[in-house]
Amino acid sequence: MTASTSSLGATQRPAKPRRSPWTIIAIGAFLVITWWAASEEFGIGFDVVRVVNNLTRGASILAEFFPPNWSYLPQTYGPMLETFKMAVIASIIGCGVALPVSFLASRVTTPNLAIFLADRGILNVIRALPDLLYALVFVSAVGVGPLPGIMALVLFNIGVVAKLLSETVDGVDPGPIEATDAAGGNRTQMVRWAVLPQVLPNYVAYSLYVFELNIRASAVLGIVGAGGIGNNINTVRRFFQYDNMSVILIEIFVFVFIIELISIWLRRRLV
Amino acid sequence: MSAQATARRARPAAPPRRMKLIATLALIALVLWSALTIDIEIDRILRLPEGLGLIFYRMFLEKGPLWSYFPEALAGMIESLQIAWVGTIIGAVLSLPLGLVGAKNVSGGFVSNAVRQVLNAIRAVPEILLAVVVFIPIVGIGGTASAYAGTLAIGIHSIGTLGKLTAEVVEGIDPGPVEAARAAGGAPAQVQRWGVLPQVMPEIVAFWLYRFEINIRASAILGVVGAGGVGDALNQAMIFRRFDRAGMIIIVIIVATILIDYVSGTLRRRIIQGAGAKRIHGEEIEEPSFVGAGAGKEGSGSG
Repeated sequence: MTASTSSLGATQRPAKPRRSPWTIIAIGAFLVITWWAASEEFGIGFDVVRVVNNLTRGASILAEFFPPNWSYLPQTYGPMLETFKMAVIASIIGCGVALPVSFLASRVTTPNLAIFLADRGILNVIRALPDLLYALVFVSAVGVGPLPGIMALVLFNIGVVAKLLSETVDGVDPGPIEATDAAGGNRTQMVRWAVLPQVLPNYVAYSLYVFELNIRASAVLGIVGAGGIGNNINTVRRFFQYDNMSVILIEIFVFVFIIELISIWLRRRLV
Repeated sequence: MSAQATARRARPAAPPRRMKLIATLALIALVLWSALTIDIEIDRILRLPEGLGLIFYRMFLEKGPLWSYFPEALAGMIESLQIAWVGTIIGAVLSLPLGLVGAKNVSGGFVSNAVRQVLNAIRAVPEILLAVVVFIPIVGIGGTASAYAGTLAIGIHSIGTLGKLTAEVVEGIDPGPVEAARAAGGAPAQVQRWGVLPQVMPEIVAFWLYRFEINIRASAILGVVGAGGVGDALNQAMIFRRFDRAGMIIIVIIVATILIDYVSGTLRRRIIQGAGAKRIHGEEIEEPSFVGAGAGKEGSGSG
């Protein structure tokens, strides 16, 4: 033992630990996938030289955004208001539906394995499709306008809120649940008096958060014909009216910013 | 006097609820106003179940899933995945230095604030707007240009979120190794490489994977505006009312997304928690930053 210590030497560094084979496999897989995805033959043909060439061309197009054509602004008030209303209606329906759905997606409140798994499965499927693709399908099903937009947002909201809230329910303090059990409460009473009061502040916070997301999302839903300010984006981009486009963009920015400020203030007050 | 009265009662009086009442009434008013003034006719709502039922029938039930269209749907989905992958790499590569500079403990207060504001501005523009407004006009559509516009839109938007999350993680590091690297005479770049990066890389790589999951959804959307991928196929199917094809495409999107979420989620847990970490349940779709602010507390409390 003393021999091995002395052979290490006083100034010698300890040997570097060997890389795990998993690290090497991961790096190899990353390189292969990247080459495959970016290559001309199998992938999207991504080329850095082309990016640089295009960016120099892009400057002249971006210059057309300025100055913004402010005379276009009054035409956007109505659609912007519609975007806001869509977000309000979709939030209230989506968050309302998400409440019971989240209780069904947690083992704490839903001991029945079949119901729990079915609910989780449905939620996973709902969340796999993005809101704009729902809007695309709903526009085909029920026609253009705010209605398909609201429906798409509702599904999107159920996915987000149910995910966040069911995880909150998973983590509640079991004390009050035991107390209602001990007092002879049934499952509904347990949820109402032991679980709901614990998760209510989070639920309100998630709902406000989802409302913010809705404002952003509903601003672009109109691109597929689902109502709101996105309709204007679509029209303007077809006619290459970039000076009008910059007015719409600035308006969306300001609007989203104001909604966020209000939402943050409300969250502080209520939660 | 009122205190005496409550003392005699078995229960304490409920706390005043004026604020709650006002909030509830305001909310009800807002919802009613929105619902009553929005441009939707009642009979369209009444015809809703019929319309939805019909499209569902024609998508999935009329002829069953259209397996002959499966190869094309899969090819579109693969293009979306490639767009998301390359876009995520662009975002990751560009966001890492920006995130480091955006952290208060790495750069000064003024510089980090300025970088954070830039990142916020980038984050505020959704991918689809970036594609419609910036990259499609620049790059054009058709052929490989479509995928190219989508990749750039996703890459640039990802810089915003990834940069912000990177800066937040870097601000939370243990200052010890940084001081040690400095005391040993390390140059600024060496301090970053040996003092900061080893502490933050696992979390940042997990964010990159997570962003890839989000970007898959984003790139599926981008085809709708002509920026490549499976959304393009879905849009065409909808325009020509080929609902059987649309049904197949939707099945492919859902299955591929769930599969990749599962694989990526497992990898992320392994990266963060090391080997032996078990998969507990499905992963989160929304921003981890929000979960860290609100829901995360609950999660860590239960663990």
